Amino acid sequence: MVDLTRIQKELTDCNRDKRVSGVSLTLCGDDLAHLSGTISGPIGTPYEGGTFQIDIRIPDDYPFVPPKMKFLTKVWHPNISSQNGAICLDILKDQWSPALTVKTAMLSLQALLSTPEPNDPQDAVVAQQYIREYPTFVNTARYWTEAFAKRTSIGIEEKVKKLVEMGFPENSVRKVLNTVGGDENLALEKLCSG
Amino acid sequence: MGEYLSADEDYYSDPDSQEPFHSHDDVDVDVDVPVVEDDRDDPRSTPSSNKIVIRKEHLLLAQMGDLRRVMDLLKLREQHARTLLIHYRWDVDRLVEVLAEMGKDKLFAQAGVTLPGNTTSPLLQSSSIITCYICMEDVCPREVTTMDCGHCYCNNCWSEHFIVRIKEGQSKRIRCMEHKCNAICDEAVVRKLVSARDPDLAERFDRFLLESYVEDNKIVKWCPSVPHCGNAIRVDDEKYCEVECACGFQFCFGCSSEAHSPCSCTMWELWTKKCRDESETVNWITVNTKPCPKCHKPVEKNGGCNLVSCICGQAFCWLCGGPTGRDHTWSSIRGHSCGRYKEEGEQKKAARAKRELYRYMHYYNRYKAHTDSFKLESKLVETMMDKISALDRRFYNLNDFSWLTNGLNRLFRSRRVLSYSYAFAYYMFGDELFQGEMTKKTREIKQNLFEDQQQQFEFNVEQLSKYLEEPLDEYSEDKVLDIRMRVINFSGIVDSRCEQMYEYIENDLLGCLVRTTHSIAPYNSKGVEKASLWSATVDNSGCHPPQDVKDFGRPSKESGCSSSRKRSRRDSRGDGLFDLNLPAEAIDKC
Repeated sequence: MVDLTRIQKELTDCNRDKRVSGVSLTLCGDDLAHLSGTISGPIGTPYEGGTFQIDIRIPDDYPFVPPKMKFLTKVWHPNISSQNGAICLDILKDQWSPALTVKTAMLSLQALLSTPEPNDPQDAVVAQQYIREYPTFVNTARYWTEAFAKRTSIGIEEKVKKLVEMGFPENSVRKVLNTVGGDENLALEKLCSG
Repeated sequence: MGEYLSADEDYYSDPDSQEPFHSHDDVDVDVDVPVVEDDRDDPRSTPSSNKIVIRKEHLLLAQMGDLRRVMDLLKLREQHARTLLIHYRWDVDRLVEVLAEMGKDKLFAQAGVTLPGNTTSPLLQSSSIITCYICMEDVCPREVTTMDCGHCYCNNCWSEHFIVRIKEGQSKRIRCMEHKCNAICDEAVVRKLVSARDPDLAERFDRFLLESYVEDNKIVKWCPSVPHCGNAIRVDDEKYCEVECACGFQFCFGCSSEAHSPCSCTMWELWTKKCRDESETVNWITVNTKPCPKCHKPVEKNGGCNLVSCICGQAFCWLCGGPTGRDHTWSSIRGHSCGRYKEEGEQKKAARAKRELYRYMHYYNRYKAHTDSFKLESKLVETMMDKISALDRRFYNLNDFSWLTNGLNRLFRSRRVLSYSYAFAYYMFGDELFQGEMTKKTREIKQNLFEDQQQQFEFNVEQLSKYLEEPLDEYSEDKVLDIRMRVINFSGIVDSRCEQMYEYIENDLLGCLVRTTHSIAPYNSKGVEKASLWSATVDNSGCHPPQDVKDFGRPSKESGCSSSRKRSRRDSRGDGLFDLNLPAEAIDKC
């Protein structure tokens, strides 16, 4: 069983100072085992100005095993898969400690965005580019941030409007959009399937 | 003769005696057999001193030996000593080295040993209610535990943490829950908290800790018998050796596969794989096919004519294997004659493959022949028993027949070495492992010398086999005595020939390798050594074998052979009469 007390507390704690920390945490639906987090791109990096959605699954043995996290927002980074958003970070694997929290893990992700470790890559292509053609890497990363990490935050109201016009209740539209990381088509699919 | 009998007799009498065998029977018998030298300084002269069987129920006590050494050395509690030893893979000497090199603090820090501080946690002293920062619950001080590293969490969280780790198979190194704390949790706490929740799991935890002594330990290995007998074998100071478990299974301690000396572990692995892959197919292919000169595929001849055509379209002559045209008469192929010898570059590749195959076949067939002989001769054990009882009834003054059993044992041991020696030669003088190690000429010379020794050895083994198969029970007393003489004689010769062959292998063949090292289990005249049973009276240092084993191992100078001890009849397993590993003292003394 997931430890409810702890998750509840983590949610409140994390959102208390989200404007300072740049990370926030929300529930996806009613299930405490499925959370959605956002990280704002660190200033002075190609990710600056972007908001990155993280899908967070809380396993039954949490906090004795690490939460499962991946990027929903596409991101160009040596330690994050450009294909599926999988993350290579030690504290999400064997260096996890029950004393860490989802928030600390997300802060570590934020730190990872500012200091990539190309020598321990998740995405070999990106890592190669980072090492060999750094300027190209920066450009690509910046472009991806513009293309994927900003669109959702700007266009979200439009999407809600569009979907509500199709006849779905606004509440569930917002919830579903949140769950799928702002992807309009996915949200529609989900709404239709009930 | 009479002296001989008394010696043999003495060998078996008084089965309970554990005293070294004194040699009042140091007799001169007029047979030309070299005596095994007694006080050589190699490991062979101290058999069994370092090989110990540890039964499952003794694992804990055996482990305690090493633990106590570390506990005494560093003034530690048992669990800390265990943590250290698990980290250093039970290598006490290495641990002592690290201690001398880096000091106690670093040694402890690397292994995750934290000794409890003098001050109790401030948390415990101050408030009445404590918040556990894992589950975020408030709990009373009775329900929290502070580890030696000073980190304090509630018992529920600790238990949960332990259970998850044990289920993940990390029992041996459960770290503290605090981020970046390297300390290993106190096993007593783990045991206490886990057993309150899940007694089975606590048992599993204990078993993991216990079995670490075998699984993480270079000098202790599980006996590889199937089904597993539950025993572990400990061998000190000897990496390459063969050993027999108390269950009777003999194996190579280096690679845990069956005993295979004089092949090295690498050779044996390659050889068994090769035999598995190729033997059946290769047999058939060599006998029934010839390779096509164009595509090199094996072609089977299914008609009477010697002009054969491959599916690739190439026609060739079955007699010489050379390519031909398609026209032929009853008696010849047009434009083709195989009478003349010529070497063509085209054919070289096929020729080499063929040569390789024939080379393998040569060694494999001989290897197989001796293995088969070994299997057939194993049946002698049964008939031999009948023969002995028949002889026993007929001749009253011939009341000891250990010369027969010893001869039989010598035969078995030698057969095995002989068959493995062919696998050895296949690799030793081939290119697969040792390409470029020797010049072609050196290799040729060495191969010749080796084969000479192998042949002499083989010849004598066959002689021994012949005499052991004689229908002794039908012979007159004189004839039996004559055969007895010959069996004893050839047993001795076989032993010394085998030893010479080993010496040549170790010194002149493997010993001369420059690029790689191949080590083999040394020759042991008495066959694969039986590990002695670990006894609970072992001294605390743990690195020394039990007292009685020491006695066993000490070469007794006064006796005529390297290591002699009366073996109790009860020691031999199975039918109580034959033990393939009976020391062949009687033979060695000749």
